[in-house]
Amino acid sequence: MAKVFIDDIEYEVPDGKNMLEVCLSLGFDLTYFCWHPALHSIGACRQCGVINYKDENDKRGRITMACMLPASNGTRISIEAKAAHDFRAGNIESLMLNHPHDCPVCDEGGECHLQDMTLMSGHNYRRYRFKKRTHTNQYLGPFLNHEMNRCIQCYRCVRFYKDYAGGKDLDVFAAHDDIYFGRSEDGVLENEFSGNLVEVCPTGVFTDKTLKQHYTRKWDLTSAPSVCHGCSLGCNILASQRYGTIRRILTRYNGDVNGYFLCDRGRFGYEYTNSKKRIIKALKRVSGTYQPIENGNAFEEVKALMGEGKKVIGIGSPRASLESNFLLKELVGENNFYGGISNTEGNLIKQVIDILKKGKVKTPSLAEAKGYDAVFIVGEDVTNTAPMLALSLRQAAKNKPNEEAFAIRIPLWNDVAIREIVQERTGPFFIATVHHTKLDEISSGSFYGHPDNIARLGHAVAQKINNNLPSVPDADRESASLSSSIAEALLAAKKPLIVSGTSLFSKNVIEAAANVAYALKEQGKDVGLIYTVPEANSVGMTLLSENFVDDAIARVEKERADVLLILENDLYQRIGKKDSEAILKRCNQVVAFENLENETTNSCDYLFPAGTFAESTGTIVNNEGRAQRFYQVHIPRNEVRSSWKWLDILRQDLQTAEAKDFDAIVDELIQKNPELQKIKETAPTADFRIGTQKIPRSPHRFSGRTSMIANINVSEPKPPVDNDSPMSFTMEGYHGIQPSPDTAFYWSPAWNSVQAINKYQIEVGGPLHDGNPGKRLFEPDENRQAKYFNDIPSSFHPSNDELLVLPLYHIYGSEELTALSHAVKERIPQAYIALNENEARRKGLNAEGGKVEFYYQDKKWELSLKIDNSLPDGIAGLPKGLNETSGIGYPFRTKINS
Amino acid sequence: MIKFSEEKLKQVEKIIARYPEGKQKSALLPVLHLAQQEFGGWLSPETMDYVASLLGLLTIEVYEVATFYSMYNLKPVGKYVFEVCQTGPCITRGSDDIIKYIGERLGIKPGETTPDGLFTLKTAECLGACGYAPMMQMGKGFKEHLTKEKVDEIIEECRRSAAINN
Amino acid sequence: MQLTQRAKHVDRHPMTWIERLYFWNILKGMLITLRHLFKRKATINFPEQKRSFSSVFRGLHVLNRDEEGRERCTACGLCAVACPAEAITMEAAERLPGEEQLYREEKYAAKYEINMLRCIFCGLCEEACPKDAIYLSQTFAPSNYSRKGFIYKKDDMLIPNPLTEPETYKKALGERPAKMIGNQ
Repeated sequence: MAKVFIDDIEYEVPDGKNMLEVCLSLGFDLTYFCWHPALHSIGACRQCGVINYKDENDKRGRITMACMLPASNGTRISIEAKAAHDFRAGNIESLMLNHPHDCPVCDEGGECHLQDMTLMSGHNYRRYRFKKRTHTNQYLGPFLNHEMNRCIQCYRCVRFYKDYAGGKDLDVFAAHDDIYFGRSEDGVLENEFSGNLVEVCPTGVFTDKTLKQHYTRKWDLTSAPSVCHGCSLGCNILASQRYGTIRRILTRYNGDVNGYFLCDRGRFGYEYTNSKKRIIKALKRVSGTYQPIENGNAFEEVKALMGEGKKVIGIGSPRASLESNFLLKELVGENNFYGGISNTEGNLIKQVIDILKKGKVKTPSLAEAKGYDAVFIVGEDVTNTAPMLALSLRQAAKNKPNEEAFAIRIPLWNDVAIREIVQERTGPFFIATVHHTKLDEISSGSFYGHPDNIARLGHAVAQKINNNLPSVPDADRESASLSSSIAEALLAAKKPLIVSGTSLFSKNVIEAAANVAYALKEQGKDVGLIYTVPEANSVGMTLLSENFVDDAIARVEKERADVLLILENDLYQRIGKKDSEAILKRCNQVVAFENLENETTNSCDYLFPAGTFAESTGTIVNNEGRAQRFYQVHIPRNEVRSSWKWLDILRQDLQTAEAKDFDAIVDELIQKNPELQKIKETAPTADFRIGTQKIPRSPHRFSGRTSMIANINVSEPKPPVDNDSPMSFTMEGYHGIQPSPDTAFYWSPAWNSVQAINKYQIEVGGPLHDGNPGKRLFEPDENRQAKYFNDIPSSFHPSNDELLVLPLYHIYGSEELTALSHAVKERIPQAYIALNENEARRKGLNAEGGKVEFYYQDKKWELSLKIDNSLPDGIAGLPKGLNETSGIGYPFRTKINS
Repeated sequence: MIKFSEEKLKQVEKIIARYPEGKQKSALLPVLHLAQQEFGGWLSPETMDYVASLLGLLTIEVYEVATFYSMYNLKPVGKYVFEVCQTGPCITRGSDDIIKYIGERLGIKPGETTPDGLFTLKTAECLGACGYAPMMQMGKGFKEHLTKEKVDEIIEECRRSAAINN
Repeated sequence: MQLTQRAKHVDRHPMTWIERLYFWNILKGMLITLRHLFKRKATINFPEQKRSFSSVFRGLHVLNRDEEGRERCTACGLCAVACPAEAITMEAAERLPGEEQLYREEKYAAKYEINMLRCIFCGLCEEACPKDAIYLSQTFAPSNYSRKGFIYKKDDMLIPNPLTEPETYKKALGERPAKMIGNQ
């Protein structure tokens, strides 16, 4: 602890901070631009000027930038002194010389850090009378809009984009009054995290292009705390709507998970919720076409189908909430419920859960992953399967070289000094994947091979760490030396991190990764082990499932089923076309609860309109076993409801049916599944009140309440009531600091921008006031004797005539729902089949882009060739989940022809 | 396709050798100067791309540096380049009038080149000769204590020597 | 107890027979009516005649155009947020290339609605507008057959184009000094 004096009042503050952090954490309003809690200080903008006094006798002091002033014992500053005040006001006046003052047309208006800071600094009158310099804006792709004239040269964008996220194509040009932040020419900003520029930029230079298409001011948005459904990481998001359509996604700060950032899939992939393909009414198929059917009738008819003695089976979904999956299981009975993924995938996830539960190694959260100093990725293209994890790993790669700076007592916050020492060096970072991945650019050693060979490398590393393990038979020299250097680096590190996942559908890979982690643990290392899984609630659904779709297929093959209930699941995407048809044809009636029309809904008999994350409330469990609550943003003016609401009515006697609220369902769930006990603690129950007040979803400046729906209905209806959460759908409620799982927007007096988050944290950049939301279901037990996996696969031998086809992942396109959003659609690559040059030549193919034919499940597929020389011999890669490749189950073997 | 001559390539290698192994990025400034000298007195995008390929840099990294320094010309320039200082001390001594006057005399605006290709007028930030304000840099030398008369003289002088050299 | 000196004694005696005829009282009333026939009229023949209002009178809203006939509103939403009756709602749209003669700035209101049943004509929207795009005109007393008709759309409020319809534009402008509506 250090004692500092701010305006002559003494404060005790933690060591190793700078004065700006300290002032903000203590609740002072001090202006700043270039500093960002995740990007630290560079002292570039000169906006946080304060007076620094030598001692209590010093009456004059000198102007110093608070962000570059260490908060050491006895530091004495004044924020309020007139000279400091004038300095900050004068500085902002200079920064604003060329600012266009176009707030009325600017998308940032109303949530602009520059607006807030201008008011806070006291500058209010513009004296500069001359012509402003202007710039030409660039086209930056479907996600971001560029308006360079608004720039105040704080450099946050390039610092985030280049230094933090590893982007290559955004830079700063020219000098003094002519500085330009942009690309070298018009074009799409390539980095997967470019969307964060919207929040990082203090003003409106980079704004959300998808929001622009249905622009709404921040104060007019009704938002709900939600959890991204784009991958298994469960990043926290704020989803906002107006007039019944989702308008944008912002980061919801969670110090344990995604912190201040989000990936572009999560941020811009929301538009499918507004799609014309949404199912908005209960539908019944009558002579081949879907007809709307009254809710009540639909219930009665489906209920009749499921009557006494009928054979009913239900298929759950890895993208539906725990509650929905649970109620489906309740409705059809435990033995008739099947997890909605293939047995291969299901067993892999089961194994991952087993390691999480019974292993002795900690699975760090996304935020904790940033703190490890050596990384070994085993068989996972993290940038594309779990993008935000890649961002965390990029930070982890900086830790080792940073130590050099800490050794000469440079604090972490002094970013300029650290970067001066570290330059572009990265710490130990090893990657074993099937093909070249984006993180290879920071890796100290990369290995490309068949999943079995990746697993063998993992086993070899484990063996070199723990000599008692069986050695890998017939290891080639190259991988032997690589495994030695990996083992050495991991052993030399304080906190090694092993990352793996299910994306290659390989049990061996998962086991090898666990072995490495176990071996390191035994050496006394503070090791972390992260597995990524395919979807948002893969872990949650698997916890509730004993059997998976292949078991269901086997069952209906034996004996036709009367009714099949499908919960939010496009079977074609998950188990392939052949298997989907197999099961759909062997069931007499198919009832689906679905968000959007898809291939599966084409062959159903009844469709119930199920809510996406925007219209439902629920709990999902992420890859580390963290249960998190997401809330519905609004009650749509159609029939769309959370799936669990439909299922709940269906399981009751229709005459006396009574809609249960969310908490009742959760209680029932944990009563039947005691291991999920903690999901009740993820958020307050619906009867929670602050005083007597609910928590509002809209800010207090929300406008247009008496006119918004006046064109539909002149007499205003009562606003909808949310029985499932302590939140209201209006602005009425408690407007102070709300419980962290239920915070729908960030606002604090004088802080209208996203930076208001400072006020919600115990100290800036730290945890939220009442702890970060989400509860981990599994914790490691150090004393547990986890068993090593001793099954070492033999090396892969490419066959001469057949190729093994493995999935390749794309951040844009490989996820089913986000791929339907306009902006994301523009970034989806052309479908291809990837081979290395060698393999292509052997098959008589040479030109990239040439047509390649292959057979999958007796159907001919034709795709263009892409040469990827990092792919090993005997392996072809297909982009997973694109339109052209949907209905394919991986991995499979095939012959290819030109 | 532009390319350094063998001799110049050797010079580039020598420049790179000045810096530690793997830090050839540091050679960017001198190599850019060399390239500017060699390829017409200015850095075209092709020239910069070529330098990037020589040093194994991304092109955008070269653009970043080349646009930062006023010594690199990103447009073709005339034979004589007037870089008039417009930082505080020179401005208070009337350098904005000088810029305006030169512009009128030559019929160009700052950043432009006369049609005959003789003169380019540029503005510059402080050149470290505040004691002799207002001043400008011309080639490798400074012209100090500028007045309208002195500017006339300089322009005449340039025209004369250009005529002789032709 | 008497609190003030102003208490008036009320005569409560029963009326006599003469008084109960009300002859005198009726006559008194008739005389007043008669007298008013010769006085100046307190009413005017609306709508043939109209009273002139003070220049700060606040009537129905007008969405303004600039001197080139372009819509001034950029749908920034400040009027809506200022509105105490929360009666204004709008949706913004981006101006496309080729629409420069329609909209003054790069954004415009694709939808702009005021619920006139809720509006209290306080003029805060006018005060909040940074673009001089909305002002309260001197038109008042709207009438309609249904409540729905009082939900004013953008077309109901947009001032006629000064270039193509100068006459109606002038009429819509009313008698407010040009300065006050930012149309110099």
